Amino acid sequence: MSYPIPVQQARPAIRALYPVAIVVVLALWLLPLVAITVTSIRSAEDLMVGNYWGWPKSFNLFENYQAVFTQTAMARFFFNSLVITLPTVFFVMILSTMMGFVLARYRFRGNMLLFALLIGGNFIPHQILMIPVRDFMLKIGLYDTPYALILFHTVFQTGFATLFMRNFIADLPGELFEAARVEGTSPWQVLWHIVTPLVRPALAALGVLIFTFVWNDYFWALVLTQADTVRPVTAGLATLRGQYVTAWNIISAATVLVAIPPVLMFFLMQRHFVAGLTMGAVKG
Amino acid sequence: MTDVLRASAVRTATRRPGSLWRRHREWITPVLLLAPGLILFLLIIVIPTLQSFRLSLYDWDGIGPMSWVGLGNYSELFADPQFLTSLKNNIIWLILFLLAPVGGLVLALLVNQKVKGIRLAKSLFFMPLVLAPVTVGVVYSWFYDPTFGMMALIFNAFGATPPAILSDPDLVTFGIVAAALWPQVAFCMVLFLAGLNNLDEDVLGAGRVDGARGFPMFWHVVLPQLRAASFIALTVTVIGALRSFDLIAIMTQGGPYGSSSVLAYQMYEQAIFSYRMGYAAAIATVLFGVMAVFIIWYLSRVVSAEARRDR
Amino acid sequence: MKKRSDVPFGTASRRTVLKTLAAGAGVAALGGGWSGAAFAEDRVLTINTNISGEGQRKLMAQFIEEFTKETGIQVQQNAMDHEGYKTAIRNFLVANPPDVCLWFSGDRMRAFVNRGLFDDMSDLWVKEGWADKVGALTTTVTVDGKQYGVPTGASFWGIWARKDYLDKYADGKAPATWDELLAFGDKMVADGISPFAIGTKDLWPAAAWFDYLNLRINGYDFHMKLMAGEASYEDPKLDAVFDKWQELVDRKFFIPNHTSYDWQGAVPFLLQGKAGMYLMGQFLTRNIPAADLDKYTYLQFPTIDPAVAIAEEFPVDSMHIPSGAKNKDLARQFIAFFYQPQRLALWVEPEGNIPTRSDVPVLKKDWLLEKGQAILQSAKSASQYYDRDTDPDMAQIGMNGFQQFMADPKSRKAVQARLEQARKRIYKQS
Repeated sequence: MSYPIPVQQARPAIRALYPVAIVVVLALWLLPLVAITVTSIRSAEDLMVGNYWGWPKSFNLFENYQAVFTQTAMARFFFNSLVITLPTVFFVMILSTMMGFVLARYRFRGNMLLFALLIGGNFIPHQILMIPVRDFMLKIGLYDTPYALILFHTVFQTGFATLFMRNFIADLPGELFEAARVEGTSPWQVLWHIVTPLVRPALAALGVLIFTFVWNDYFWALVLTQADTVRPVTAGLATLRGQYVTAWNIISAATVLVAIPPVLMFFLMQRHFVAGLTMGAVKG
Repeated sequence: MTDVLRASAVRTATRRPGSLWRRHREWITPVLLLAPGLILFLLIIVIPTLQSFRLSLYDWDGIGPMSWVGLGNYSELFADPQFLTSLKNNIIWLILFLLAPVGGLVLALLVNQKVKGIRLAKSLFFMPLVLAPVTVGVVYSWFYDPTFGMMALIFNAFGATPPAILSDPDLVTFGIVAAALWPQVAFCMVLFLAGLNNLDEDVLGAGRVDGARGFPMFWHVVLPQLRAASFIALTVTVIGALRSFDLIAIMTQGGPYGSSSVLAYQMYEQAIFSYRMGYAAAIATVLFGVMAVFIIWYLSRVVSAEARRDR
Repeated sequence: MKKRSDVPFGTASRRTVLKTLAAGAGVAALGGGWSGAAFAEDRVLTINTNISGEGQRKLMAQFIEEFTKETGIQVQQNAMDHEGYKTAIRNFLVANPPDVCLWFSGDRMRAFVNRGLFDDMSDLWVKEGWADKVGALTTTVTVDGKQYGVPTGASFWGIWARKDYLDKYADGKAPATWDELLAFGDKMVADGISPFAIGTKDLWPAAAWFDYLNLRINGYDFHMKLMAGEASYEDPKLDAVFDKWQELVDRKFFIPNHTSYDWQGAVPFLLQGKAGMYLMGQFLTRNIPAADLDKYTYLQFPTIDPAVAIAEEFPVDSMHIPSGAKNKDLARQFIAFFYQPQRLALWVEPEGNIPTRSDVPVLKKDWLLEKGQAILQSAKSASQYYDRDTDPDMAQIGMNGFQQFMADPKSRKAVQARLEQARKRIYKQS
C-alpha cells in the first residue's frame, strides 16, 4: 500500500490523464533545461548577436561537446570527481547513521545540545572557514590531495546527513526497539539488523543528495587543491570561463555533461526508494 | 560526557552481571558511535568556526598581519546601509523560499507512482538540482533580458514594454529567487519522496478503512507521518534561503548597486573581492546569529513533537 | 605557425601526466637497488596558470613540451580558471607555492611583493638584458628598483565603432574632441540608436568611463594619485569628470537597462546596430564574428582638454616566481626560455595582445596589432585599469558606486561621499 493511491487503481479518466499531466508539468519544469541544452548546440555567433531563444543558425552539437574535452582535461577531472565523491558519500552515510541512531534513540543530557551543534554547523556560511580549514589541512599534510576534499566534505555533509538520519530514525515505530530491548539485542545488532534496513529509502535519498552536493562543489576544490591531477570536474567547467570572453555554448555543453553522473545516480538509486517490503517483514 | 551517557543509558537495556564489556556496553556503544563523527566535526567545523568568530574582531586581509579592532567591524556593519538592504533581502528570500517545500511535496505526490517511465520522469524532475548554478543563472538572465530575452519576446509580441527585472531594485530579488526556487523545489521533492516511502502502512490502511480520503486523508493521516521529511525540508530551505548566493553572484553581482545583495553575498564579496576577512567574519557571525534563532525554534519544535508522541 | 598546436590539449596533458607517472614509477622501482644519484634531474617544475583562452592554453602546453624536450626537466602545469585563480593564488602562495605563476603587474603584484610573496628577479633581468628590450613597461613589474616578474602581454582600450554609422552620422570622420563625440552621438540618438553599448552588471565596464574621463580631464598624475589613495573622491577636480559623464547619461548615450547585462551581453546591441560604439578592451574583437570584423573600427578616446597629455589604459599581465618556490633555479630557466622574442610573439597572438618586448617579430600583418602598438607609442603614459591600479577593496566599492551613478545620476553626491569614506578607511586617513 502506498500513498497516493496507485493510478492503476484509480478511475479510468484519471488513469488516462495521469501521463498527460506528468508530461505537461515536466515540459514546463524543464524549460530552462531545454534552453541550456539548445544553447549547448548553438554556434558562438548565435550568442554573439544575442540569438538566445530563436532557432539556432547552425547546429554545433559535435563541435561543442568535443570542445569540452579538448579545451580542458575534462576526462581526468571526471575521474577525480569520482575519486572524491564516492568515498565521501560512503563515509557520510556510515557516520550519519551511527550518530543519527544515537541522537534519536538514546536519552542523555546534552543530546539536544549535540544535535544543535550539528545543525548549527550547517548554518555556517562555509566560505568563512576557508583559511582555518586550509591551514588545518596543510598542518596534517593533506593539502592538495583528494583526501583533503574527502575529509572536509565528509565532515561538513555529516551535519546535514545526521539531521536527516536522526529524524528518520526517530520516526521509526518505538515498539521495534522495545522488542529488541526485551530480547537483549545489542545496540550494534539493532543498528545493523533493524535500523539500517528500515531507513534504506532514506539512506538512498541521502546518498543521492550528498553525491550531488559534493559533485557540485567548486569552492573547496579551489581552496584545498591546485594540481590538475586532483581537481574535480567543476574546476574544469570553471576553466572554460574566460577572463573576458566566455563561450556559453561550450559551458552549457559542459553543464549537461557534468550533470549526467548525479542524475544517473538518482535514476539507479530509485530502486532503493521503496521500503514497503522490509518494513512489513520486520513487523510481520 | 561519558558520565552523562551512563546515567541516561539506563533506558536501553536491563543490566546483567558479566564481563566488563557487558557491564559497560550500554554507554560504550553510543560513545563509540558518536565519537568519530564528533571528533572530526569538532576539528574541522567547530574550531574553525570559533576561529572565524574571533577573526571578526580583527582587521585582516588574509595574508598579512592581523590587527585588533575590537567590535569595530560590527559597528561599521550596523552603520552600513547595505547591511539593512541585505537583511531585508534575506527576509524576502526566507519567505519566498517557503514555497519550495510546498512545491516539492506537490511534485513528490505527483510522481510517487509505479508506472512505466516514472523513474525517468523523476530523474528529470530532479535534474535542476544537479545543473551548475553558473549555467542556470545565465539562462535565467537570458530569460529576463529586456531586449533579447524570452520575456522581451513575449511582451513585444503583445506590444508591451518588457520589464527590466534584473535592473529594477524593487523586482530584482524576486527575479533571482524565482531562479533559485527551481533547484530548491527539486531538493525538497527528493526529501518528500523519501518520506512518502517511509509511511506506516498500518496507519494508512486504518485511515482508508475509516473512510478517510481526499484532503482530510492527506491532512490528518499522511502529513503527520511526513513530519520528519517536512522538518528536514524546512530546515534545508531555511539554510538555502540564508546561505545561498551563487545565483546572485552570477545574475546581478548584488546589483543594481547592492539592491539584490544578501548577507551571504555581502560576506562573500568582502572576503573574496575586497580581501576583508575580519569584516566578512563579522557578517558571517551576524548571519549565524540570525540562523541561531531558527535553530532554537526548530529544536523546541522537535523536542515538543517527540514528547507528544512518546506520551 | 601551426607547429605542434594541432595536438589537442587534452591529449597532450594526459600524456604529460602519464609520462610523469611513468617517470615516478621508474624511480620508485629502481630506487630499491640504485642510488638516487642516477636521477639527479627528477625535480618537477610546477607552474600555476590562469589562462582563459584556448589558443594560449595550447601554446603553454606546447612550450612546456618543448622545454622538457630541451632540458629534460619535467613540468607540472596546474591550469586554473581565471576568476577562481584570484582566490586560489592567495591560498597557494601561502600554503604551497608553485615555482612559477601568472598574475597581473601593477598594484596587484605590489600587494604580494609587499607581503614578501614574490621573488626578486632582478638578477635574471640583468643576465638576460631585458631592460633594454622591454623599455617603458619595465616599470609595471618594478618595485623599489627591483623587478619581481616579467610582463607577458598588454591589453589596450578604446572606442570600437560601427563603420556604417560613422559614415552616416559623422561623414566617416572619427570624433577627435568631446564636442565632436557629442554631435556624433546626438545624431544617433535622434535615430533611436544608443551611441554606446555597455554592460555594467560586471561593474568593471563602468570604471573604464571613469578612468578615461579622469585621464583626459585631470591627467595621468592626478589619476594615479587618486588610485594610490592620495587624493579625495570629493576633490573639486572630479566635478568636471562627473559633469561630463552625466552629460552622456542625460543625453541617453548609453543603452537602457545596462545594469542587466554583463559586458558580453551588451555586445549584441553593437552587432545588431542598436548601439553604435563600445568603449572596451581589444578582446571585444574576439566577440565579433570574424567575417564581420572589418565592419568595425577603432577610435581613440577623444581629447577633452587639449592641455592634458594623452594617457591610455594598458592592463599588463605578468609571470612571477613565488618566494616560497622550491625550484627557483628551474623557474628562472623556464622564464628565460618562455621570454624569447619568438615565443612571446606566438603567445600574444591568440588574444590580440600587444607584445611587451620591442624585438618581437611580426608574425602576420594585423591592423589591430598595429593599432595597439601605435597607441602604445603615442601615449605619454599608461594606467592599468581602475581595478588593477587601486586597492581591491577600494575598487569594489568604487565600481559599485560608478554603476549606481550611471543608473541614477542623482546619487552622485552620495556616491562620492561613500567612496571618500571608503578611501579614508582603506588608506588609514582621517
